[in-house]
Amino acid sequence: MANARSAELYDGFKAKLEAVSGECYRVETEEEAGKLIGTILKDKGVQNVALLEGEVSKKGNFAQQLKFMNIDVMSDNFRKVTPDAQAGITQVSYAIAELGTLVQADDDANVDQRLCSTLVPIHVAVIRTEKLLPSLAETMSTIHRLPRIPGFVGFITGPSRTSDIERVLTIGVHGPQQLIVVFVD
Amino acid sequence: MADKQFKKKISDALDNNVLRGALGRFGDTYITAREKAYEGYDFPSIRENIVKVKSYAASHLDEMIDQFEKAATARGAKVFRAATGEDVKKYISELAKRQGVKHIVKSKSMASEEILLNKALMAEGIDVQETDLGEWILQLAGQHPSHMVMPAIHMTKEEVADIFSGHLQRLSQPVITELVKTARVELRKKFLEADMGISGANMAIAETGTLMMVTNEGNARLTSTLPRVHVFLVGIEKLVPKFEDATHILQALPRSATAQQITSYVTMVTGPTPAYYEDGSVKDKEFHIILMDNGRRKMYNDPKFKKTFQCIRCASCLNVCPAFQLVGGHVYGHIYTGGIGTILTNFLNSENDAKNPQNLCLQCGKCAEVCPGNLDIPEMILELRNRMGEKQGLPFTQKFALDVVSNRRLFHSLLRVASKAQKPFTKGQPVIRHLPLFLSGMTEKKSLPAVADIPFRDVFKTIKQDVKKPKGKIAFYSGCLIDFVYPRIGEGVISALNEKGYEVVFPEGQSCCGAPATYMGDRTNARKLAIMNIEALNAESVDYVVSACPTCTHALKDSFQELVEDDPGLAARAAELSRKSFDFSKLLSDLGGLEPGGDGVPLKVTYHDSCHLKRKMGVYAEQRKLLSDTAGVELIEMKESDRCCGFAGSYSIKFPELSEPILERKLNNIEATRAKVVAVDCPGCLMQISGGLDKRNPNIKVVHTAELLFEKRKKNSKKN
Ligand code: SF4
Repeated sequence: MANARSAELYDGFKAKLEAVSGECYRVETEEEAGKLIGTILKDKGVQNVALLEGEVSKKGNFAQQLKFMNIDVMSDNFRKVTPDAQAGITQVSYAIAELGTLVQADDDANVDQRLCSTLVPIHVAVIRTEKLLPSLAETMSTIHRLPRIPGFVGFITGPSRTSDIERVLTIGVHGPQQLIVVFVD
Repeated sequence: MADKQFKKKISDALDNNVLRGALGRFGDTYITAREKAYEGYDFPSIRENIVKVKSYAASHLDEMIDQFEKAATARGAKVFRAATGEDVKKYISELAKRQGVKHIVKSKSMASEEILLNKALMAEGIDVQETDLGEWILQLAGQHPSHMVMPAIHMTKEEVADIFSGHLQRLSQPVITELVKTARVELRKKFLEADMGISGANMAIAETGTLMMVTNEGNARLTSTLPRVHVFLVGIEKLVPKFEDATHILQALPRSATAQQITSYVTMVTGPTPAYYEDGSVKDKEFHIILMDNGRRKMYNDPKFKKTFQCIRCASCLNVCPAFQLVGGHVYGHIYTGGIGTILTNFLNSENDAKNPQNLCLQCGKCAEVCPGNLDIPEMILELRNRMGEKQGLPFTQKFALDVVSNRRLFHSLLRVASKAQKPFTKGQPVIRHLPLFLSGMTEKKSLPAVADIPFRDVFKTIKQDVKKPKGKIAFYSGCLIDFVYPRIGEGVISALNEKGYEVVFPEGQSCCGAPATYMGDRTNARKLAIMNIEALNAESVDYVVSACPTCTHALKDSFQELVEDDPGLAARAAELSRKSFDFSKLLSDLGGLEPGGDGVPLKVTYHDSCHLKRKMGVYAEQRKLLSDTAGVELIEMKESDRCCGFAGSYSIKFPELSEPILERKLNNIEATRAKVVAVDCPGCLMQISGGLDKRNPNIKVVHTAELLFEKRKKNSKKN
């Protein structure tokens, strides 16, 4: 993969995400991703996390690494645990550089993906760098080209927000207050 | 005509400082924020794409609905077509009963507001919770939304805190972050216990049966994730043919609605998705989609209103509307507010409910400029006004005035009489109280300029046109204001065109352009005047027809054609007239502008754009160039130069309480430039702005471009 191209897309994504109060990181390996996430969560004082295992988290031994850092890891029974979990970790399908947007498009419309990313105050999204798409238009056609359009496709751009009272922007309403994105090369 | 109760609502809204503060602050920042959000994107082409896909859907509506139903059903959805709001309510309450539903959470749906769905469901004993923060606040307060995108924009944090305190029986502090937190906690409980979710959608994709929601708070995600039953309530105007077509709307909606590149969440649902059931198992939801008509087809079947299908409900038309900014949404009286809301109310609710609010439209056209669906809302409002005028007739005073105006001889001799009769009152001041009948004979509060001693039609005969070997002939259409109030403008026009080598004629039979009748909904008189002028101007005999009043030019170019379209002979003549008609600055600049000139005496000038000239005719650069090419003129741009001055024909008489604050803002922007002269291209704006400056800052003069060029370029002019 052309590195210059992915660096450009990544930089674009990062700038856009930070403009809407999201945090953005990039690491080389799955292992490093787990470590970084542990450090970030510790820093934020997080003691437990709902982890929806994905291909990256498994390879990177997220569960073990986090436990090692004294963070409680819950990886099933999500309907029960997510309402009180302090953070959630999921792997998402795509990212759109043009907008700083994450795309959840699991082919089975996994309900746990949504619980772990919506009910928790901090959402950590893991994604493969190669899944970065340049634009909204390309993302739409990529989704449409899938064998079938997933039952649930969610675009996420930054934490949840409202300006419903006096037009003053407030971060964190029904969804997460913080969004952390970790790209894994 | 606006009735008393309606007037009362307006004055209440104007007295509400909270409302005016919130709306004002938002309106001030919106325009620049929106522009910034579109930076690097080509708005006109996004708009063109939206129009393409939406107008296709509108003209293949049945096909779209069939396709959508087929695709959604194939994915396991149950699709119900509801003709009326009653059908919707019945369907949902029966479904709720069948499914043993006790708690419903709703994410934002204007369609459900439109049919008062909550009330019906609550009457069945079901707990219904709005979850969009703004909607929830309104639900607790028992109010309707005042804005499509920001439903509670009319409330302060103090009011919200009071409502929360009352509802939760514990004190809430008026601190916004705290209030939001409270809402999160309270509504979280509701989400977790809900067994049914009801959502609206921003788009319904015919090809794939997908529903799309564009939101910021995350409530739409929760509504479509947690409850085991999910109902989408979707107006049929949300249909879009293909999946990729959504891209265009996603490019425009967040930018136009809230000046965001994209909202925090875009949620796309295709068929039922898995959910947790009470016993802990994960199964597909019970999933229903209701496609609602409720008066929409009637609107789309009406050729003049078909375009409303292209509306993506971004509410930017409200955000830029000078009247909305002053009075807010509740004055409009129903669920949908602002200009587009008035039209929707007319069809989805009742004509009667649209009768008052349609009056609020200034016809300034700012909304049409920013509308991503390319709707000409003012034109549609005018159409409503005309239909109402035809059906109900106009009040006697208006009717009488318009009848007089359309009788040229009577009208002109009355104006001549007025010019004599006003003498004792003006005391040498060129301002009097009661004047032209063409303003509908209702002027009371407003001071207006005097009728000129000698109307332009008489001045014209004394002007010596020294054109050697004329290149051609131009007919001058003066319009009432130049003819009877500001004849000097006419002199300027003639001098400039003479300089370009054209001889100017003044067809005597010309009369009022009919704009007052048009804008008051009196098509009969407007048509009468159109015919009179088409005949008098006899466009076939000249090279061009020039007017120095953009409202008149718009009539010559567009309205006449429309008014006589049923008569082929006249229509051909109107088309010829339309082709040859130009506004002064445009024509002069098309003819190559003027030779370098000007007295060189420094003069700071600022420029105010007339709504009609800028937005109906796209002329704004030409006159600026003419002015700044004149030696001595220093052109200083004012803020919001193209914002309506509040004159808008008879509007300033119908709604002085609105026209005044709009004018006020214009005057502030003018004063901030420290210019000595405000140049304008419209005698109506001239009358309005100088009327205001006259009281506030008589040192600043308002001058028509034609007259200013004339004065500055006069040989050996004595400066004053
Ligand atoms: S009419 Fe145009 S500007 Fe107004 S809400 Fe609809 S799309 Fe937006």
